[in-house]
Amino acid sequence: MDSGDTAFMLIATAMVMLMTPGLALFYSGLVRSKNVLSTTMQSFVCLGVITIIWVLYGYSMAFGPDVGHFVGNLDFAGLRNVGLTPGPYSDTIPDLLFCAFQLMFAIITPALITGAIAERMKFSAYLLFIVFWATFVYFPICHWVWGQGGWLGEMGALDFAGGTVIHINSGAAALVACLMLGKRKGFGREAMHPHSLPLTVLGAGLLWFGWFGFNAGSALSAGPTAVLALMTTQVATGAGLLAWVLAEWKVQGKPTILGAASGALAGLVAITPGAGFVSPISAMIMGGVAGVLCYAAVVAKGKFGYDDSLDVVGIHGVGGLWGALATGLFASTAANPDGANGLFFGNPGQFPVQAIGAGAAIAYSVALTFIILKVIDLTIGLRVGIEDETQGLDVTSHGEVGYNI
Amino acid sequence: MISAADTAFILAAAGLVLLMTPGLALFYAGMVRSKNVLGTMMQSFFMIALISIEWVYLGYSMSFGPDVGGVIGDLSWFALNGVTTAPSADYATTIPQIVFMIYQCMFAVITPALITGAFAERVRFVPFLIFALLWAILVYNPVCHWVWGKGGWLGNMGVMDFAGGLVVHVTCGAAALAAILVIGPRRGYGKRSFIPHSLPMTFVGTGLLWFGWFGFNGGSALAADEVAATAFVATHLAGMAGVLMWVVVEWFVLGKATTLGAMSGAIAGLATVTPAAGFVGPNSAIAIGCIAGMVCFAAVNLKVKLKLDDSLDVVGIHGVGGAVGTLCLGVFASTAVNPGGVDGLLAGNVAQLGKQAFGVVVVGSYTLVVSWILLKIVHSTMGLRVTEEAEVTGLDYTEHSETAYNS
Repeated sequence: MDSGDTAFMLIATAMVMLMTPGLALFYSGLVRSKNVLSTTMQSFVCLGVITIIWVLYGYSMAFGPDVGHFVGNLDFAGLRNVGLTPGPYSDTIPDLLFCAFQLMFAIITPALITGAIAERMKFSAYLLFIVFWATFVYFPICHWVWGQGGWLGEMGALDFAGGTVIHINSGAAALVACLMLGKRKGFGREAMHPHSLPLTVLGAGLLWFGWFGFNAGSALSAGPTAVLALMTTQVATGAGLLAWVLAEWKVQGKPTILGAASGALAGLVAITPGAGFVSPISAMIMGGVAGVLCYAAVVAKGKFGYDDSLDVVGIHGVGGLWGALATGLFASTAANPDGANGLFFGNPGQFPVQAIGAGAAIAYSVALTFIILKVIDLTIGLRVGIEDETQGLDVTSHGEVGYNI
Repeated sequence: MISAADTAFILAAAGLVLLMTPGLALFYAGMVRSKNVLGTMMQSFFMIALISIEWVYLGYSMSFGPDVGGVIGDLSWFALNGVTTAPSADYATTIPQIVFMIYQCMFAVITPALITGAFAERVRFVPFLIFALLWAILVYNPVCHWVWGKGGWLGNMGVMDFAGGLVVHVTCGAAALAAILVIGPRRGYGKRSFIPHSLPMTFVGTGLLWFGWFGFNGGSALAADEVAATAFVATHLAGMAGVLMWVVVEWFVLGKATTLGAMSGAIAGLATVTPAAGFVGPNSAIAIGCIAGMVCFAAVNLKVKLKLDDSLDVVGIHGVGGAVGTLCLGVFASTAVNPGGVDGLLAGNVAQLGKQAFGVVVVGSYTLVVSWILLKIVHSTMGLRVTEEAEVTGLDYTEHSETAYNS
């Protein structure tokens, strides 16, 4: 036990928790005012639902003793054998604290998907979806990458803070979800403007702040790796912000605050898998490329015509994929002696491993998300009725309105 | 011996707890009508200034200074006399005493701010400030000393309160009840509905409160150790169980799950687990959060039947939650979780529940009586309520000469 590490991880855990309310604000500012509360609720309720199943069996499936390199067994169900002494994943902090830190990651991942299904999904169907999705998609993939004995981790796939587990995973699921739910009524014909960009920027600020806990905390100790991760996070985010805004300025003629917020988020996503493995200069490149790439992906969405309402695929999917691959290029033992070298540092073997990890996560997430959504669609239905959609989900699903000014 | 890690942790925790007061201001301000949003924020925000100064000159010494008869600290630490960067012998022996002082200051700040939800949209600013100052001196400081001060009589008796179920939540809830009785309902209460003007704003507040609560409860271990980890986890689990339970009950009873319900459930769970956080395991914390979601939901709905205008549900959530949580400590506490704590009913110690109940009754009735007297005095000398005309116009304009929204 080390009280310095414990202090750091306690704070980092609280910071990651704040990202979910931050995400709720980021998303809810982007929807129309008749859906602001339902969008908020979709993220916020994850704090309730995912926490319960994490305690009951999720932590055990993700981090419990390995079964066939695929999933953890149920030895830690109900947090049995998870105590206040250090556990298998860290020597210097209480096992229960590691469990709490990881819980916050499990909470935000399904919440990320909601951007793709905004303004049209039935609340009851949504609740079922996140329970199944966490159980059959998140917990196994988390085990593959981070669980002891997980096959991707054993293969040497690098994922410092969740590029594959969180961003590729949620981005792939989001793509399936928005295709299966279909477009919002009037999509493509009428403009659907964000109702409050200040709300979105507030959310982006909280996300950026919380991300320091997310990435630096993933070092699991208050040491040099945490410092590296904190700095690379900041540098990549700044680069992402700038790159997106410049690209937008060039292409569309004006730099927008929405572009700045999106670019920051793209940079944060892209650096996540590499944060503790790359140098700050590499981070700048990773973030800058992410800004341009994700901007292009969001613009391309318009051409494909699918309604990924709040750009989960373009930012988390594409940014996560770029980050995972770029980690295979830029990772360097000069930056972190406990990490690995990437292609640009003389280790060509790392890149294909990263690609396999990303590919496996995409394939698995796409397939399982499809099955889960299909089952829910055939039983209780995914979408609200057309009248409810017109009136807005705040009143029809929750009996409330966001604003009475 | 000063521990750098513990000091780092409590400094960060103090920052987290400070953030709860602006968080509370947003939480409350979103729920009032748009003509009272600034007045409501100001009542919370100004407490940071007023109570911090009071804390330096009187509060810290009265609460934690050398004991006088088990009832109050003496004034030998007036203006932080002798309170230095050396650790105290009695409290938090691994961090500088001024760090302990500023951490506790944040608790003293938020407690009177919590009361303001009960009398939102109808109280004059200056009389309110006088009440808050008197209340801090005559209610918060003594109760804090009884429970947490070295030599305080409730603490000596074995009444436990990890992070402020009694000191913060029962006191603000009981004071809120007194305030409702003295001040009366808003104009038109019961005849028309008062709809929150911006629930997204309330949501911002909820998120910041939840985040800050990790510092509130986790930091109450006063060290970065196993107890802090226990309290941190219990806090989160009870908060989320509160969300889930409130939403489910509401769905059943009223037919729809509301976001305001989810947010209220979170605060109910967080407030209720506060006294017990460092003494209970994860499963007990979930049970406490579930109890909180149900009981506080019932309390908030009872208010409507009793025709009491507890405008933003301070009594129903903080008062009831704090009292229930203090009792839950007597049920669920376990020395297997925290060897430095106590055993509760489920671990075979019946006496602890009795002590906890005694603590609730004493703190609740003392606060109710003294708050009522203070409110009566301020009300009959200066008048607490705004004029009817001002109430119609709204406090933002009449009390502060501003308006929140100008498109």
